[in-house]
Amino acid sequence: MKKNLRRWLVAFAILMMAIVTSSCSLPGLGSAQGSNGSIRIASLNTTESQVLSNIVSELISHETNYNTAIVNNLGSAPLMHQALIRGDADIQAASYSGTELTTTLDLPPTKNAQKATDIVRKAVRDRYDQTDFPSYGFTNTFAFMVTQKTAKKYDLNDVSDLRKVANKFTIGVDSNWMNRKGDGYKDFTRYYNMDFAKAYPMQIGLVYSALASDKMDVVLGYSTDGRVDSYHLKQLKDNKHFFPPYQASMIVNNSLLREHPDLKPLLHRLDGKINVHTMRKLNYQVDDQLLEPQVVAKKFLEENNYFRGDK
Amino acid sequence: MSHLNTFQQLLYYYDHNGMYVLQQFLRHFLISIYGVLFAAIIGIPIGIFIARNHKLGNFVISIANVIQTIPSLALLSIIMIVMGLGVNTVIMTVFLYSLLPIIKNTYTGMRNVNANIIDSGRGMGMTNWQILYMVRLPLSLSIIMAGIRNALVLAIGITAIGAFVGAGGLGDIIIRGTNATNGGALILAGALPTALMSIITDLLLNLIEKWLQPTGMKKEA
Repeated sequence: MKKNLRRWLVAFAILMMAIVTSSCSLPGLGSAQGSNGSIRIASLNTTESQVLSNIVSELISHETNYNTAIVNNLGSAPLMHQALIRGDADIQAASYSGTELTTTLDLPPTKNAQKATDIVRKAVRDRYDQTDFPSYGFTNTFAFMVTQKTAKKYDLNDVSDLRKVANKFTIGVDSNWMNRKGDGYKDFTRYYNMDFAKAYPMQIGLVYSALASDKMDVVLGYSTDGRVDSYHLKQLKDNKHFFPPYQASMIVNNSLLREHPDLKPLLHRLDGKINVHTMRKLNYQVDDQLLEPQVVAKKFLEENNYFRGDK
Repeated sequence: MSHLNTFQQLLYYYDHNGMYVLQQFLRHFLISIYGVLFAAIIGIPIGIFIARNHKLGNFVISIANVIQTIPSLALLSIIMIVMGLGVNTVIMTVFLYSLLPIIKNTYTGMRNVNANIIDSGRGMGMTNWQILYMVRLPLSLSIIMAGIRNALVLAIGITAIGAFVGAGGLGDIIIRGTNATNGGALILAGALPTALMSIITDLLLNLIEKWLQPTGMKKEA
């Protein structure tokens, strides 16, 4: 009986070892967990972040032999940052300078776009040994929008033009923004010295259709949302720079770039290649045309010949 | 896309993203299978072992019970703290959840084998090992397989939640649906294949069970 017991224990030990070793890379899922050469890209649960992550992923896997995997659906910028620091991911495909500055780096906000980018770039390099790549070429910020008809009727171009009509305008805003401190509704009314007849907090996805169907006179939406173009909305210029700049770029762990030096020129191919209209179009395809971010990203890269630069 | 109804949107979605859904389907399936497979490799020997020792049996099963009571999202988060983001975290969670049905069913199956049959086996001069694999295991096979089937159906559901820690799978599509303004079709697009997967694997395991059944126990038609 005792001998039997020992035999069982040995069998267990072997099985346990088999599991521990095999769990590092399981066939079929091998690309999902790193350290064996696959490159992992952290993505937020937003459409834009998922599209950008898939563009980066597709670019790498198409142009090199590396495997890529997307660590999807992370809830917030600090969580993505944490994933990069811990080594759960190597690339953060969508980082917005204003967000990085105030949340992950815990620095005071700045209204100057170039300065914000410079501070972020220097801070991530010194503190976390990461590279902040040059921007994709667009900013995703809150923007006030009106229909073309309203814009023409009241001659609206800048946000401060709204002051003369604010007292008879209704505004639709993101319910989070309504009570946010620092750059929320209250701060906005004080900063621009105007008050709207009535402000309706709502889910951010609803504001565009609310504006297009004349339920609202002016709304606050995201500048890169696809519906801005599809509804032909007029975006008002934030002429007093109330909103901090949100330049979109990618942040990459330097350890990855050192390990694979060929990645750096490859990732630089995306510099300045996606302007706000392109991003809107890509977002629109996902949000409205029922296409998966992966499908959209692949199509976009194929259309542009993977930015090889030799047409 | 608002001019289409939900069903038309669903068809349109599958038409345009078919490859992606297939990839995620396979990934979802593999994650579930691996978790249950490891649980079976560990759980069945444990079940056989504790069947000989009643006290130890109660102890082990109560531990597995405790694991089962932790909500899946909580267990996933706890394991994420240790193992980080990614697919291995989900496999570990599936593994832990699959332990109880597998251990418990193996234990019950082993103990329910008629003592007279074992006695006659012993009377024929069988060793302990022979009794195990020639008598006990074949007789309790259907109960053990029922445990594995249970575990696998459970696992497919848990893997869907695994999308929250970045493991991918069909849960990704469902989450995208919950975030979208008009995501009813997307939620269905992710949920239907998940349900389908549960049904198919259950049927497949049923076939395997029948195939493994010793000839002597098969009912005459």
